[in-house]
Amino acid sequence: MSILSFIFLLAGGFIAGTFGALLGLGGGVLLIPFLVMVLDIPMHQAIATSIIAVIATSSVGAAMNLERRTVHMRLGMLLEIATVTGAILGGITANYLSATILAKLFSGLLFFVAIIMLWRIRQHNGQEILHTDGILPGTFTDDATGTTVHYTVKKVPVAMLISLVAGNVSGLLGVGGGIFKVPAMHILSGIPMKAATATSNFMIGVTAAASAFIYFAHGHLNPFVASTAALGVLAGSMTGVRISRKIHSKVLTWVFALALLGISIQLYLR
Amino acid sequence: MPDINFISNDSHHAAERWTSRVLRLGVWVSASLMIFGLLLATISPSLIVPLSTNPSLGNLAEHMFSDTFDPVTLMFAGLVLLMFTPILRVITAVFGFAVERDWRFVFVSSIVLLMLIGEIVYSIFLKG
Repeated sequence: MSILSFIFLLAGGFIAGTFGALLGLGGGVLLIPFLVMVLDIPMHQAIATSIIAVIATSSVGAAMNLERRTVHMRLGMLLEIATVTGAILGGITANYLSATILAKLFSGLLFFVAIIMLWRIRQHNGQEILHTDGILPGTFTDDATGTTVHYTVKKVPVAMLISLVAGNVSGLLGVGGGIFKVPAMHILSGIPMKAATATSNFMIGVTAAASAFIYFAHGHLNPFVASTAALGVLAGSMTGVRISRKIHSKVLTWVFALALLGISIQLYLR
Repeated sequence: MPDINFISNDSHHAAERWTSRVLRLGVWVSASLMIFGLLLATISPSLIVPLSTNPSLGNLAEHMFSDTFDPVTLMFAGLVLLMFTPILRVITAVFGFAVERDWRFVFVSSIVLLMLIGEIVYSIFLKG
């Protein structure tokens, strides 16, 4: 590996880690095209590296966010059961629907969700609507406003159903489940955006762990590429978590909605 | 209406606190192994053992405790430890929820753990 490739891998990992930790998405959407197109790394190795990157982002994010209590661990565990069940059933869906039709279908859905998120910011003047009549209460301190945020979770079964679908289709679409789960937790379950991204970040690592072992078993993990990228991702994730603490929820929602629009367009153009 | 204004205390957030500590430790040890492996490979490329391009879990453990201590094994050890951090977080969550006596979530986390172990065992058998 040349010095230039090493620097590019570290930098690519850093950027993917920053955005992944900030938005609770893992950063694979950015990292895989970068590894394949810029560094000419074979697709299977790129995917394996991206999975390692997701785990690194998730572990750093979870360690830092759990301490701040931004992660709703109970909800995360509940949704994880649905996600893993969905992933196991993924093969069945693949037999009935083509990946192209699915990509077009979910492209439209993600576009619609992004518009709803932006509309809600405008409608509520950037203020988050928190519910106190749900279950599984959560509390964290928002560093951007200096306030303690109290909330409860609504519509857990619906959020579980969406997680099941997310786990089911994310493998087929080549995207992480976070893009479905963050809006579900925020819009449907009424969780503050910072808690939704932190909880998603906590979950994506657990979901990715099983795939990581499968790629490892198949011999697709290049230790030089994956280690270098992982170190960049670890540093980037620390930065991403620090940024997410400081920025206002409204800005975080904007950035997330724009990322969602970008992924939606990418899915449509496939 | 549930009481949302609960006051945090040490026993109430045992699961979160323990998981955070275990994850921090796992990430730092894993990063140190990867850094050490990369440095060793750069300083002494002759130490790289070609056969360990992709060892199995058993093979990796064998290499770690053998005389042939090469940079690639160190990097793989760091990567595999990182791959284990999500499992560690679920295990500590199970214990943390048990300390909190939240048996419902001990059950929920245990299901997540079993699903994960099942998938990993499957991947190891796949390797043969």
